Amino acid sequence: MDLIVTLGVNGLATGMLIFLLAAGLTLIFGLMSVLNFAHGGLFIWGAYAGVWIYTATNSFILAIILAILTGLVLGLVTERLIIRPVYGNHIQQILITLGFMLVLQELIKVVFGPDQKAVDPPAWLASSFQIGDVILIKYRLFIIIVGLLLFFTIFFLLKKTRIGLIVRAGVMNREMVQTLGINIRFVFMAVFMVGAALAALSGVLHAPYSGVIYAEMGLEFSILAFIVVVIGGMGSFTGSLFAALLVGLAQAFMAYYVPALSLAVNMLIMTIVLIFRPQGLFKVKG
Amino acid sequence: MNLITRMMTKSNMIYLGIAALLLILPFFLTGRSVQFMITQIFIFAIFAMSYDLLLGYTGIISFGHAMFFGIGAYTTAIFMDRFDANILGLVLAIGVAVLFAAIVSFIVGILTLRLKSHFYAMLTLAFAGLFLVAAEKWRDLTKGNDGFTFRIPEILRDSTVMYIVSLVCLVLIFFGLRRLTNSPFGRVLVAIRENESRTESLGYKVLHYKVLVSVVAGVVASFAGVLYMLSLRFVNTSVFHTDVTIDVLLMTIIGGVGTLVGPIIGAALIELAHHWISGLANVHWIFERWIILYGTVYILVVIFFPLGIVGTIRAKLSGRSKSNVLEKKRAS
Repeated sequence: MDLIVTLGVNGLATGMLIFLLAAGLTLIFGLMSVLNFAHGGLFIWGAYAGVWIYTATNSFILAIILAILTGLVLGLVTERLIIRPVYGNHIQQILITLGFMLVLQELIKVVFGPDQKAVDPPAWLASSFQIGDVILIKYRLFIIIVGLLLFFTIFFLLKKTRIGLIVRAGVMNREMVQTLGINIRFVFMAVFMVGAALAALSGVLHAPYSGVIYAEMGLEFSILAFIVVVIGGMGSFTGSLFAALLVGLAQAFMAYYVPALSLAVNMLIMTIVLIFRPQGLFKVKG
Repeated sequence: MNLITRMMTKSNMIYLGIAALLLILPFFLTGRSVQFMITQIFIFAIFAMSYDLLLGYTGIISFGHAMFFGIGAYTTAIFMDRFDANILGLVLAIGVAVLFAAIVSFIVGILTLRLKSHFYAMLTLAFAGLFLVAAEKWRDLTKGNDGFTFRIPEILRDSTVMYIVSLVCLVLIFFGLRRLTNSPFGRVLVAIRENESRTESLGYKVLHYKVLVSVVAGVVASFAGVLYMLSLRFVNTSVFHTDVTIDVLLMTIIGGVGTLVGPIIGAALIELAHHWISGLANVHWIFERWIILYGTVYILVVIFFPLGIVGTIRAKLSGRSKSNVLEKKRAS
């Protein structure tokens, strides 16, 4: 029992991090039908920028703030320079964002050095609780809480505010929203920046969780984010949460029970979903 | 006779002339490392041409093309390791590699090619990932990440022979694929790239064409993997890595999509970059991070020259000749 709880908490924590990464990607696709393979580059830049200031000042809060700022700025640059010239052409989008991904990943090595970096959780999150036989590591609970808070905040923003209404309407029918006099490009830029900031936040939270960061995580997490978005249904916000938790839990349990398959489990889930339900687990709704 | 005169067009003469020059090159360039490098270029040129069949001609993006390369590579390695390293074993290995690649590409194609473009990209990526994991975990057969060396037929161990074999294969596959892309079948592929729904409404079974071309691309890529193994005589899991797919993507894009010469030139450029730019690392740090240079060039190519080197030159040339024709018409 305690084993299942421990694995469950691990899986939920991983899932929440993946959700933060995938949430932006799915909205970006839903809103402007843009396939962004550079998303993992924003993730890894958030991680490195955050860890840099974290080791310099020892303040994890500052690290989170800097990561979010990095995400916002990089998101703006990416949308302006990389995405804008290739609107409406999926093949060019895939090609160009993949190239940008490689550039972002190599630039990490130039700015921060090519070696991998070890990261410890901050002191106030380093210990753990013990309830009965179950040991709960504080940092994992912290990630789960942050993930849930952000999910409900964004969910509220999407469902209850005017901005959310515009975004949801844009996901359903971009042309119609434009006809009603709303500058959808501007809305999209804002969504892209927020999505990039979420990816960067996911990166900096992931650093102490896995204990080590390296530049190649960029491409790995780009691919992971896409897998999750495909499983959840491209454009579906709620779908990305469920798919992320599914992938996180599957990874945690597989790593313990069938370690040989743990590397392949994401691919297996996606293959099964693509074969039986190619539109993803969740349909895009307004 | 008819066939010979048809073969003797101007462009064919040029290609055959270049091939003949390359054929006598190894008798002047006897250094093993140089011969090995050019052999690698030939092999990757074959691989990149197969990729361009999908990306350039049909408009399908694959993120797992390394999978077919790896299938060819591992099949050869395992056959050469387990059975006698003679020509008969090699022929058998090629047969199995080609068949295996055909089956896998057929399955992947039939599952996702009816959906939007990114689903094929994702499923090939997933399958390539599964093959990578399988190669790492099935240690009895593959010896995992460490890989293994193996013996190959006596005659192919000479680097000059391997050079000539690769060149001959490149030339044969080049003309074969040119025949294919110039055929009515190839024209339908281009039509699918340009406007899929219109091609469909003209009565072509788009899915059949797409699956068939993905099988051809898979088979050719697998054959490139076979040649790669014969030149390297060592296999490990790196043949299944995403890096291999990204390399072949860069080769195709930079050289020129939708042409067969483009991927060959792209393969030469990228391979030369691997060998020489990384040697310049102590001159300036940027050469150590040459992917930044290539990535930037690649992004600029996608935005400004979506046709790549060869495509852009060709468009310039044909544009000029067309405007000449127009001027002549106007003059008369």
